[in-house]
Amino acid sequence: MRRSHLLAFGLLGSAAALVAPAGPATAQETLKIGVPTALTGTYAGLGAEAVRAIEFAVAEANAKGGVAGHKVEIKTLDTEAKPEVARKQAEKLALEGYKILTGTIASGEGLAMGPLLARWDAIYVSTINKSDKLTGDSCVPRMFRTNHQDAQDAAVVRPWLGSRKEGKWAILAADIAWGRDSGKSFVEAAKVNKKDIVAEIYSPFGSNDYAPFIQQIKSSGAEGLWVALAGRDAINFATQAKEFGLLDKVFVAGVSFVTDNNVKTLGATSKGIWGIINYSSTLDTPANKAFVEAWKTKYNGDEPASFEGETYLGMQVIFQAVEKAKSVKPVDVAKAMRGGTFDTVLGKVTLRAEDHQMVLPNYFGYIGERGGKLRPIITETIPANVATTPPTGTCKMGEL
Amino acid sequence: MTGIVTTDPIVSRAPPPRHALALASAIGAIACGALLAATIQSSLMMTLVTQAIITAILATGVGFLIRQNGVVSFGHAAFYGIACYTIALALKLGVMRVEFAILLALALPTALAFLLGLVIIRIPGVAFSMLTLAVGQAFYEFAMKARHVTGGEDGFSVSLPPAILGIPTAWFQNPHSMFVVSWSVLVLIIFGLALIAASPFGRLTVAIRENEERARFIGYRTTLPRVLVLTLSAFVTAIAGVLFTLYNTFVSPDVLHWTLSGSALIMAIIGGPRLIWGPALGAIIFFFTKDIAGDVTEHWQGIIGVILIVVMLVIPSGLGGTLAALWQRRFGHG
Repeated sequence: MRRSHLLAFGLLGSAAALVAPAGPATAQETLKIGVPTALTGTYAGLGAEAVRAIEFAVAEANAKGGVAGHKVEIKTLDTEAKPEVARKQAEKLALEGYKILTGTIASGEGLAMGPLLARWDAIYVSTINKSDKLTGDSCVPRMFRTNHQDAQDAAVVRPWLGSRKEGKWAILAADIAWGRDSGKSFVEAAKVNKKDIVAEIYSPFGSNDYAPFIQQIKSSGAEGLWVALAGRDAINFATQAKEFGLLDKVFVAGVSFVTDNNVKTLGATSKGIWGIINYSSTLDTPANKAFVEAWKTKYNGDEPASFEGETYLGMQVIFQAVEKAKSVKPVDVAKAMRGGTFDTVLGKVTLRAEDHQMVLPNYFGYIGERGGKLRPIITETIPANVATTPPTGTCKMGEL
Repeated sequence: MTGIVTTDPIVSRAPPPRHALALASAIGAIACGALLAATIQSSLMMTLVTQAIITAILATGVGFLIRQNGVVSFGHAAFYGIACYTIALALKLGVMRVEFAILLALALPTALAFLLGLVIIRIPGVAFSMLTLAVGQAFYEFAMKARHVTGGEDGFSVSLPPAILGIPTAWFQNPHSMFVVSWSVLVLIIFGLALIAASPFGRLTVAIRENEERARFIGYRTTLPRVLVLTLSAFVTAIAGVLFTLYNTFVSPDVLHWTLSGSALIMAIIGGPRLIWGPALGAIIFFFTKDIAGDVTEHWQGIIGVILIVVMLVIPSGLGGTLAALWQRRFGHG
């Protein structure tokens, strides 16, 4: 009698345990997205763009009744673009349940978060980090990149550099993972094209005074200058370079330098600067046109800027992965992302399973006038299969 | 600062039975810590507390220097950061076992502080602070520039072996178990420092702090004791660095920057550097104020600044000092 009671309770208990987590609770579970990004400091401008794009995507999804029935919620914390702070803030977000992390700016931040994602049971989707290491030797199963990596930018720079008449080049890049990567790729591109690198300068992240570097570039006799600076660094440099007359003497091109935000701040100074354009609101795909229209309606006629477009793309990928996985669990979402194909503002794109890098087309162009406004104008479109070089093999991807 | 040796309560009374009492409270405190870790379920809360405790050890090191030597260091991040980078680099380059790396991480900053102390301890006041700042920043700049080994601004991850001294490494990374480890270390450090402060050596350094000339006149050598205080303070700071690295498994030049030394100093002042445990209290208050204020506003530094100003103007002995005074008034002389 007693034993049978015990058995009955036992069976009932295990049945309850089996049913409970699979019940309605999961169907309404909120999709919680954590945004550890730069709200202050040198990259605050970029952080603001990332946050705006994420908020836009979330509002859009929630207006449609959520992602596969899951309401979307975000929480943003300031990382100051410092790896150490990013680690702490990401941990806080993940432990509060915001386990799908995105919108982080500096590559160093992504690299700091990567090894800890498993400990936090989180995933990280980069929409702005460019360092090849993220999907190279530092790759982890829970880290993805939906934006362009340095190698993709380099693939665009190589043929373009060959077409330039300038023979002597200088490099000015931020002394962080991304700047170093970009500088290295440019040196290689120069070698291939038989161009001389006469100065290779890495300025401290968050510099205010670029005068010594500008002087160095001037005295190096460079005819062309490759700039890998972003945010306030880019603006400080460009303003001072104009004052010192560098922009008139030397042909300037760069990466993350030809962005809408910089154009807005620099005005006429930026006219004629060439560079890699990873996203432009002028891109002629139906998905992008719809996105730009919706954005304009929401933000008083403003068009989405470069990092806004790229981050929105990342959000599209996350949402579609959740739909495919029918789950908001980080591991399930990660499985759906790996090797998946997604409809984005840049068309149909695939997230490579080998290294978790998105296979993307890339663009090149300059800042010029169109429709009475200064903006990045695309002159060259490089298809995804050319722009994205095959995995280098440095990434040894583990199991999820 | 105006009183002379005999007016300082710590100098004038330190009867032996107090040691037993202190030991009992230390054991009690460790037990309480273990109990707290068992009670609090939230990993988020525990990770915050653990980080606060590790910072508290750093602040205790900085505070001890102020308490015993009466000088302010802006360069303690160097001792902390060198400990972090020693472990990280030793493991990255694969030159030694993690246990040796930890020992080296404790020995290097301590030895550096001793040698440095022999030179700079004679320099008074602001000049001393400036020198510590300069030395600290030199290490920061080195970590920034030596990109090929240190990863520069980006820092790098530390890959720890699966076990340290036979203890699974996961223990040092789980917020609950790491809290118990760091809390116990903090309690033992405070206990140890209290013993040292109450010893003849501790009383001598306070005497030197109050009036070096007089101490020398009585016949004491005054340089070496002060150097030893700096060395001890650096050793405590290095312990914090070791715990930080084991828990975080990531180092970047932030751990060497003077702002870390500055924060530790603010913690010590908020908590009250005249008490051994004051800076630790200050660190916990600092850490949680930063965390809570940081959620509300990006300008959390402003809130910390206001707290610092209020503490310095209203209660110069710090929050710890005020608590101790209240305790004294409530429970009489004991």
